Amino acid sequence: MARPGAVIEVDRNTPPVLFHFGEGVRLEKLPLGARIVYPPDPLEPIAHPERAIKRALAKPLEDDPLKSLLRRGMKLTIAFDDLSLPLPPMAAPDVRQLVMEEVIDMAAEAGVEDIHLIAALGLHRRMTADEIRHIVGDRIFSTFWPDRLYQHDGEDPEANVYIGKTAEGEDVTLHKRAAESDLVVYVNLTLVPMDGGHKSMSTGLATYRGIRAHHNVKTLLASRSYMNPPDSALHHSCIRQGQLIEDTVRVFHIETTVNNHAFPAIANFMQKRETDWTPRDQAMFLGMKQFTDLAPPAFKRNVFHAMRAPYGLTGVHAGQVDAVHEKTLEAVRNQISVRVEGQTDIVTLGVPYLGPYNVNAPMNPVLVVCMGIGYLFNFYRSKPVLRKGGVLILTHPCRYEFDAVQHPSYIDFYDEVLADTTDPMEIEAKYELRFAEDPWFRQLYRKSHAYHGAHPFYAWYWAAHAIDHAGDIIIVGGERDVVHRLGFKCATTLEDAFEMAEQTVGRYPSVTHLRMPPIMLCDVE
Amino acid sequence: MLHLGDVPEPQLPARDWVRVLPTLSGICGSDLAAIGGHASLYLDPLTSYPFVPGHEVVGTLDDGTRVVIEPALGCKVRGIEPPCPRCAEGRPGLCYNVTEGPIEVGLQTGYCADTGGGWGEVVVAHPSQLHPIAEVLSDEAAVLIEPFACCIHAALRGGPSKDDVVVVLGAGTIGLLTVAAIRMFTPPKRLIAVAKHPTQRDLARKLGADQVIAPDEVFQRVRFATSARRLDGMMDRSLLLGGADVTFECVGRADSLNDAVRFTREGGTVIAVGMPGEEKVDWAPIWQRELTVMGAYAYGSEPKRKGRSTFDLALEAAPELHLEKLTGPLFGLGDYRDAIAYAMNAGRLGAVKVAFDLRGLRP
Amino acid sequence: MPWYSGERGLTQLTGTIGAAVNDVRRVRRAWHWDTPRPHTWPAQGEVVPERASDLGWARQEPVRTIRFLIQHGLLLPFTKAMAHPKVEGREWVRELERPVIFAANHSSHADTSLILYALTDRARERTVVAAAADYWFKRPLLGNIVSLFLNTFPFSRTGGAQAQLHSSSQLLKSGWNLVLFPEGSRSIDGRIQEFKAGVGHLANETGTPVVPVHIRGAFRIMPKGQKFPVPGPARVRIGKPMAPQPAEGSRQFTARVEGAVRALADEPSQPDIQGTWIERWRALKPREPKYGE
Repeated sequence: MARPGAVIEVDRNTPPVLFHFGEGVRLEKLPLGARIVYPPDPLEPIAHPERAIKRALAKPLEDDPLKSLLRRGMKLTIAFDDLSLPLPPMAAPDVRQLVMEEVIDMAAEAGVEDIHLIAALGLHRRMTADEIRHIVGDRIFSTFWPDRLYQHDGEDPEANVYIGKTAEGEDVTLHKRAAESDLVVYVNLTLVPMDGGHKSMSTGLATYRGIRAHHNVKTLLASRSYMNPPDSALHHSCIRQGQLIEDTVRVFHIETTVNNHAFPAIANFMQKRETDWTPRDQAMFLGMKQFTDLAPPAFKRNVFHAMRAPYGLTGVHAGQVDAVHEKTLEAVRNQISVRVEGQTDIVTLGVPYLGPYNVNAPMNPVLVVCMGIGYLFNFYRSKPVLRKGGVLILTHPCRYEFDAVQHPSYIDFYDEVLADTTDPMEIEAKYELRFAEDPWFRQLYRKSHAYHGAHPFYAWYWAAHAIDHAGDIIIVGGERDVVHRLGFKCATTLEDAFEMAEQTVGRYPSVTHLRMPPIMLCDVE
Repeated sequence: MLHLGDVPEPQLPARDWVRVLPTLSGICGSDLAAIGGHASLYLDPLTSYPFVPGHEVVGTLDDGTRVVIEPALGCKVRGIEPPCPRCAEGRPGLCYNVTEGPIEVGLQTGYCADTGGGWGEVVVAHPSQLHPIAEVLSDEAAVLIEPFACCIHAALRGGPSKDDVVVVLGAGTIGLLTVAAIRMFTPPKRLIAVAKHPTQRDLARKLGADQVIAPDEVFQRVRFATSARRLDGMMDRSLLLGGADVTFECVGRADSLNDAVRFTREGGTVIAVGMPGEEKVDWAPIWQRELTVMGAYAYGSEPKRKGRSTFDLALEAAPELHLEKLTGPLFGLGDYRDAIAYAMNAGRLGAVKVAFDLRGLRP
Repeated sequence: MPWYSGERGLTQLTGTIGAAVNDVRRVRRAWHWDTPRPHTWPAQGEVVPERASDLGWARQEPVRTIRFLIQHGLLLPFTKAMAHPKVEGREWVRELERPVIFAANHSSHADTSLILYALTDRARERTVVAAAADYWFKRPLLGNIVSLFLNTFPFSRTGGAQAQLHSSSQLLKSGWNLVLFPEGSRSIDGRIQEFKAGVGHLANETGTPVVPVHIRGAFRIMPKGQKFPVPGPARVRIGKPMAPQPAEGSRQFTARVEGAVRALADEPSQPDIQGTWIERWRALKPREPKYGE
């Protein structure tokens, strides 16, 4: 029986809590009276994913069955989410592989000749052949790669078309092949409520021009939070763009949800609550801690990034985007919602080793901000767990390490832009266009495996709401000059951080620790 | 082989020559190269032995006037009429007649057996070599006039325009004074200084650099500043497609020379300001990128400033720069070993110009 | 620099050991190794559905290399020395372009090593063996060691058909050949028992061909109940891959596979099960290289 999420109060008997520390783990004792919020247990996955998929495709929501939409001689395009989801990467076979195999089976039966598969990665990096093979599976890869299975290139003037402007004046662009298709099937995996729905087509297959309309500081400050679409200006903009796209091209959305069983059996202790740790989990924790303290960084990285999550499919819905997405969000919330009563003065978070933008790469300081202060902070529903002016405390080693292949624009962002200012508005006005149009970044995005030149800016804006909301942000265990460059305070231990926080929030503050990952959405009363 | 000892006072080689008693005399990179054996053997025939080193000299005449010595021993100083073509166009450092005249072979005072040098009690000089200095310029500032003049000459010779991105490699005395000279005389669009040590970085910024970067990130930062493309080759050698317009190379070592020819843009200019030795430089980039590589040596009269003498320009510009903050520490001649060791590690020790103080020698 | 100063060498070593000891002490105190579980702790829950893990670690990279070395250095030479197996029908498994299910008769623990011996290297490195979860994986260490050697994964004999087949179908989908013993358990007298319907279900659901395999002689080497093997001759016969006919049900298909395995047991060679000489000739044809892939 999967238990719902729980809020536990720390007393003298409570064991210390596991904090993620980048590529490492720590045990920290929280003060008496602090609350620990635990995510819900993973739900039972569907026993026969293939059957559920077949059923969803045969009886879609507010749309015709997929079989009837496929006919000989049509132009079919299948677009799918890239490997920034799920996190950690899923154990084979990926749900997207299962869905796409069903769709392609139907297409083969209907005799569709002209079929293309596009990885809808927006301004993310191109994936290597191995990474694509991991998502789509051997069968699809060997049949379609490389001429009919390829990746979206947002900087290719030939391959993208301008669709139009929305009512609010936002530009909308789309991949040319998708725009000219008779049917686009979008295969999505919704891990967090931010994904899916109209956002799939309007960001995954767009160019910088289209994405700029909602990936800017003003929109993100008005998204409170972007994990809750009704309250998010980001999503309102995406919905407008998506509706324009739906008017232009026929799209059949297939959205899947998974449970939050994020860690393989070997790392069960990361998944479980501390009070549930068996002696085996404790031994694994001790082993992992010694290993991460002693091992050289490159080796550690390989071990951590080789972890595959045993996610189980919990739902699959297909059909018209709004109807499908409503059900999808319901399923996601069903898995990850936790009720939390009241806000607190201090929130503590352990930043894990992996975020959506550093799969197979180290987490550079800018991405630490994006992950910890951006994503993890924004997992709330009505209001943040942290009260306005409160203190956010994160743990991460924050080393100056960048991946030169995946994140070249991040290096210049850190060295040039952050050395000048950390204010998101100023950064946007002064530097974003220059990075977006730099010819070398453009070349690396198009030909190599680098994120787009403007991407570090989005990573920084993602944290704009939290930086605005919190009174102070303290990073525990980080390298001093790096943390100061980012504009935050640095502490060596958690106790010192609490003491520093007392300057801002007063003595005897209330503390909440959000035991994430596995992820959860805090419904704050 | 350098040693301290008593030598006979240099004789006045001709009637109009005068005696100068040095008060401060700087230790230059060229002196250190000569002592350390790093200097190129090319300069050997242009020197006469034994010589007293020291060409950055501020001293007093017998009547008490404070002067700074312009060390170049050209036709005018040697009394040769008519002057050689180079001296005629105002470049005494390039004189053809350095073997003629009443004094022995020597490019400069401080490399000639007959003139004496700053690291001794008495120097003899031709009146054309003497520049009186104003009260407002202290001895510590005046000892930097000679290197400052070299850098002004380099800046004017390199001639960056106001649309150029200029990189100054190296932040010793020559590098810092080049930054100052460029800022004052040929202000560019962006001036980037490459400095290794913290004191150097601060001074570079104060003297007018827009941006100060470290030597190991020079390719990354120059690439960003010029929106160039970067290609990485084998063995850590990169090159830029595009790059800086004008580069002043003020270190004089193979590493920085090789870097300079790779990040200066195609068709750009590299000026060697700091004295190099016999350095192994890859000429392929110079050829392929059609670079203009030029040397900048000494001073004279500057055609780009209507023929005015470089030393006069330096003396005019010096007071507002407060050059005395670059000088220090001062050593007596007796501590010459410490002085030279300090000068060789000046960057790491937080100093720029180390000089000999000869004031204590006379009552 | 003296050996006791600074951060290298002895100081680092003692520092590391001290930190490790510290951590163990902390965990020990926090999780009450010496005292009973505090009553204020909520009841211990089964957080993660402790569903039978399919032993994914055994199919990851460093383990696969170790297994290759163990098999080529230890297991296969030992099998050869013990049984001198004669293999017929290797041509059917030489170049498998897609995963297959090997359905074999089961009379001894030696069956698996004989089947693995009979396969070619390329097929073997992509093969997993279904091992009864309740027998092999009751004691944790035994099952893991056997996985290391033979690449087994737990296959629950009890429980509904759905649970049994789910992990198998996932493996087939991920590109693994599957070795299955449809009889369910080792036969007591060496004769072939009735095949259970699972293999037909699996083949139908995943669309995978089934290769019938018959092993003769394994019962003499190590029959059920004997603890250690005795040397003796063995023969492994591999038949043609069989695919279910369009309208064939799982039970019918299973029966057909059973018939094929039984037929393989008989002495004269069976052209329809083992293939006519023309089919075998074609199967042995060297592969044409594909240019411009």
